[in-house]
Amino acid sequence: MVLPAVVILVVVAFYPILATMWLSMHRMILVFHEETFVGLGNYGFLLSDPRFWSALSNTAYFAAVAVAIELVLGLGFALILNAAFPGRSLLRAAILVPWAIPTVVSAKLWAWLFNPEYGLVTHLLPGHDVNWLGMPGYAMHAAILVDVWKTTPFVALLLLAGLQTIPQDIYKAAQVDGAGTIRQFFSITLPLLRNTIVVTLIFRTLDASRVFDAVYVLTEGGPANTTETLSIYAYKTLMRVGDFGYGSTLSVVTFLCVMGISVAYLKVLGVERGKGAR
Amino acid sequence: MFKHQPMWGEPEPFRQLLAGFSQENPDIDLVTEVLPNASDAVHQYFLTSLEGKSREYDVFIADVVWVPEFARAGWISDISDAFPPDNVKRDFLPGPAEAVTVEGKTYALPWYVDAGLLYYRTDLVPRAPKTFDELIQFAKAAKQKDPSLYGYVWQGRQYEGLVCDTYEAIWGFGGESMQGKRVTVDTKEARAALTYERSLFTQGISPPSVTSAGEEEARRTFQDGKAVFMRNWPYAWGEAQKPDSPIKGKVAFTTLPTVNGEPGHGALGGWQLALNAFTPSWRREAAVKFMKYMTSKKAEVSLAIHYGRNPSRKDAYKDEGLRKEAPFIVDLLPVLENAKPRPVTPYYGMLSDVLQSEFSAVVSGIRTPESALDRAQKFLDHVTQGGS
Repeated sequence: MVLPAVVILVVVAFYPILATMWLSMHRMILVFHEETFVGLGNYGFLLSDPRFWSALSNTAYFAAVAVAIELVLGLGFALILNAAFPGRSLLRAAILVPWAIPTVVSAKLWAWLFNPEYGLVTHLLPGHDVNWLGMPGYAMHAAILVDVWKTTPFVALLLLAGLQTIPQDIYKAAQVDGAGTIRQFFSITLPLLRNTIVVTLIFRTLDASRVFDAVYVLTEGGPANTTETLSIYAYKTLMRVGDFGYGSTLSVVTFLCVMGISVAYLKVLGVERGKGAR
Repeated sequence: MFKHQPMWGEPEPFRQLLAGFSQENPDIDLVTEVLPNASDAVHQYFLTSLEGKSREYDVFIADVVWVPEFARAGWISDISDAFPPDNVKRDFLPGPAEAVTVEGKTYALPWYVDAGLLYYRTDLVPRAPKTFDELIQFAKAAKQKDPSLYGYVWQGRQYEGLVCDTYEAIWGFGGESMQGKRVTVDTKEARAALTYERSLFTQGISPPSVTSAGEEEARRTFQDGKAVFMRNWPYAWGEAQKPDSPIKGKVAFTTLPTVNGEPGHGALGGWQLALNAFTPSWRREAAVKFMKYMTSKKAEVSLAIHYGRNPSRKDAYKDEGLRKEAPFIVDLLPVLENAKPRPVTPYYGMLSDVLQSEFSAVVSGIRTPESALDRAQKFLDHVTQGGS
């Protein structure tokens, strides 16, 4: 019974990864029918490619800022939704709406909200001449805002699930011992939520490091590539340019970064065995 | 099998056009398939399916910049035997004819054309501007009377439209995009063109919103009556003349301005019909017949009247029916005759990718034209050195 699963896993998961790695060691431009083995040549070029470094730092910035905000906001929402109040189930369902809208649709929607002539965002904020999607520095934060809007509900839901596994007795005991709400939060909720938080962080960081659709729809990586993430760079190289060799190299590096992040999380934060929140 | 983009509007005239072909050629089975409207997505589709040597379809549409790329890759058939280059030059408008000819051979047939043009408000400016300076001067004068107006809206977002707009400016300064087979972007004309584009922002002629604007964003602003000038494609005319348009009757168009007042060259757009290189020989004759039919005067006039697609054939513009039904299309002829293709090179995909980001960097003010063009040229030379 194990064998078929292994075969499927190899075919579905490992073959494309290995094929991409193999491609990444070639100079291969589709329209020229070239396929020359260059070993690690593409990786060497990558190290001296300023566009790669800017894409990498854009991605890192996006992931770090977006995930940090999502975690704090999401935890806040989860705590609110965990408290008993009338209409709670309705609110739980309603909060998921941004998450349920397909990313491309919500990104298009936000692109209009950010429109400098007609957009609501521009009119609500002072300084009407801010062109969110067209100014370096602003565009990235606009993209982060869209990501936060979209995925905070998901984070809230994961954390809410974690919160509900904490037995109420512990809180009651703490109350008897005279611990206040804040003390309870830091001494009970956070430690017991630790595994859920780690899992959530992994989920979100990995997603954010591969971010493509939301940013691509908003800006296509512009202005001046200031919102170009690794995935967008890889996509453009593969599909627009038809450079399968270097495009694969970029994909492999993205993959390695994502792997590295997961391993680092597990090492540094660590999920306690047997108590995994999943 | 014919793959094409959607025809917006009434489906019936297009259906009749295709039916006409089947009536003339009862022995040929014609199957058509509509592709998505986004050029990028369609390009990706053909890239993968032709690399896989698909023979599923015979005739397909190709954007004007793909022809050299696909020809170099051996994905589209040399059709010089059926359509000799000299005939193509004789029958079709010069820009499109140039765009489908690669190294003296015909690789596609122009089907319908598009070109960048300058729209202006007849109630706000005395006459059509001929030079860049006049455009700036007229815009400033109009803004003095009404400070809420924008001077000039165009396409400044990081995407293909920005490449078109910038090439138009480069040609306006007398620049050329190629020296022999080498694509040259780091030229003094290109520096002048980018300096001019950036100065539109620093002088307050173009609003900052232009750095995130595509065709539609520019058109909406212009159509709301907020701008004096707009660079756009011919489709914007139909929109501006709609009954509920605030600027109906107050708009005119002309060729783009240049540095010395000669009529400017608009970037050539539009779609071509290409023949799949993997089409088996027994289907080839039918495919050629179909291409001939679709680019006939009758077919092109019908597409122009019903769908506003500008004919690529010269003689279509002399058609009485077209003159009566769609005089606007006939008026466009001078603009279309002057249209120039973007660099005709198999490297266009790479070229455009790097130019989009470097031009965007200049327009949004984070790099000087000098450094952006230097970066672009270095990258291009690096890629093309080992290429072919």
